[in-house]
Amino acid sequence: MSKIRICNTAEIPSNGMKEYDTEGGLKVLIANAGDTYYAYQGLCPHQEVCLAEGYYDGAVLTCHQHLWQWDITTGKEVGTLAEVPLEKYEVQVEDGEIFVVQSSALKAAQLFMDVSDDTLQRLDLLARREKYGSGGVLYNIGDPTDDLYILESGRVEFLIGRDGTSPAGFVLRKGEVFGWAALLENQERRIAKATSLEDSVLLRLNGEATLKALESDPVSGYLVMRKLSTLITRHLGSQGEK
Amino acid sequence: MKIQVNARNRAYQFETTEGEKILYAGLSEAIGLPYECASGTCGTCKARLVSGEVIDGWPEAPGRKYLKDDDEFLMCQCAAKTDVSIEVASFVQPIEADVCVPAAMKGVISSARLLTPDVIHLQVRLNQPMEFDAGQFMLVQAPGVAGYRGWSMVNHQREAESLEFIVKKKPGGGISEWLFNTDCEGVEVDLFGPLGQATFYPSLAKNVLCIAGGSGIAGMLSILSRAAQNDYFSQYKGDVFFGVQTLKDAFFLDEFSKLRTLCGDNLNVVIALSKEEAPASALNDHPQLKFDTGYVHDVAGRHMQGGYQNVRAYLAGPPPMVDAAIRVLLQARMTTDNICYDKFS
Repeated sequence: MSKIRICNTAEIPSNGMKEYDTEGGLKVLIANAGDTYYAYQGLCPHQEVCLAEGYYDGAVLTCHQHLWQWDITTGKEVGTLAEVPLEKYEVQVEDGEIFVVQSSALKAAQLFMDVSDDTLQRLDLLARREKYGSGGVLYNIGDPTDDLYILESGRVEFLIGRDGTSPAGFVLRKGEVFGWAALLENQERRIAKATSLEDSVLLRLNGEATLKALESDPVSGYLVMRKLSTLITRHLGSQGEK
Repeated sequence: MKIQVNARNRAYQFETTEGEKILYAGLSEAIGLPYECASGTCGTCKARLVSGEVIDGWPEAPGRKYLKDDDEFLMCQCAAKTDVSIEVASFVQPIEADVCVPAAMKGVISSARLLTPDVIHLQVRLNQPMEFDAGQFMLVQAPGVAGYRGWSMVNHQREAESLEFIVKKKPGGGISEWLFNTDCEGVEVDLFGPLGQATFYPSLAKNVLCIAGGSGIAGMLSILSRAAQNDYFSQYKGDVFFGVQTLKDAFFLDEFSKLRTLCGDNLNVVIALSKEEAPASALNDHPQLKFDTGYVHDVAGRHMQGGYQNVRAYLAGPPPMVDAAIRVLLQARMTTDNICYDKFS
């Protein structure tokens, strides 16, 4: 857990927003809505445009480049254009100073964004952080589908086909989940080879343990499964392509 | 050269010829690669080079400011030197069957006439008829002037044999210097298109709001022409706001009056003058049009108050105007899927 001081509350206009670069190289957007402050990733997840250059009315944040929109209280997509939510950081206000807290790397994962805090903590305990260098193989075709992965940084390539040489052509964003066969029934073997293309950091969770944690919190589990089915549909939905 | 594109959802392969820009080659194959201006300014077509080599035709392109890493490039400006593999960080779908697939073609400038001292109207006769959607644009390249420019079509026909454009004079602008200083009638030009997603179909079944500044009015006329052909305004409202500085800068006023006669009272046309009040003569000469004073987005905001139900908005003009108009529409609580424009900055 890391806690970073960002600014004074007085610097943020009422129902306005401002961006800050932290020492760690993170760009953070701080927005005010009434009595509350919110912190989000400072760059649009679409094309890395500065969100502070966009429009904000105290409730909805709009990127000026392609009009993706998000609810400022949750970071969830508003309307039909935005394809992904914003990464939200926990905010603490102490004596008029704003801090952001990055409590759980899993929170950045779309799949888990609706999960209750208790279950998220349980999942956090399951997650192992792994680093791969360029060319590092995460799994091969035919490997068991025990674990699912969340990309924290870097890039991962997927190869399919009999000999594992045809690019599947997926490009992942930070927080995206793959290897989700680990959460499915009767999908015991990998159908793709996953290779790290540069230094990459991944969170790795055992599928069965994840399902157990979700079973004990069916509300969270239901929301995760809804997200998962949407994710799968999206990849299948490319006009008859798989 | 073989091009492999890894998108967020799947991979595509296509071929390019020597010097052919990767974006244009992919679009010609009905692959819906991301783009907006397709001419080097907006940065939307950025991609990452995974393997192979590309040649950048315009290393000073303003759109390169959106690139973060050395291995990123603009697909609209780069051609493949070898077989290449690239990554595009968005979902890429095939272009739908009912959308016009762009192609390279040639045409001849068949007429060029001044509408105002700094706006020229061009007609280009094509070497083959083409289909396009109302609101789309073409990339045009003139001999001896480097690079393509994006110009919106003014006309709209099925199987169009010629295209009409309007171009504003920009001091120091390569192509506008050429157009305004050369006898360009009869000159052959290269074209690529149609492009652009801010299109209008009669099946839209919504009221139409057009806010345009200067030569941005071109695409709006195409939209209005398509709508008029389908008797669209017997059922839906149309509100058109055309911004210029003074009455001397306005053009197409007779065309707007004709459209008003054709479409009736459901079509409302307001000419917004930012630097003067409309002289009385304007109202006498064009009794079917309205005139107002102020920036076009402010004028539109005043006239549209309370009238945003079931509206699709089309915006075009200088980037600050488009930006200001978006703010007005967002404040009016319009949803973003109903705000259409092609970004040129």
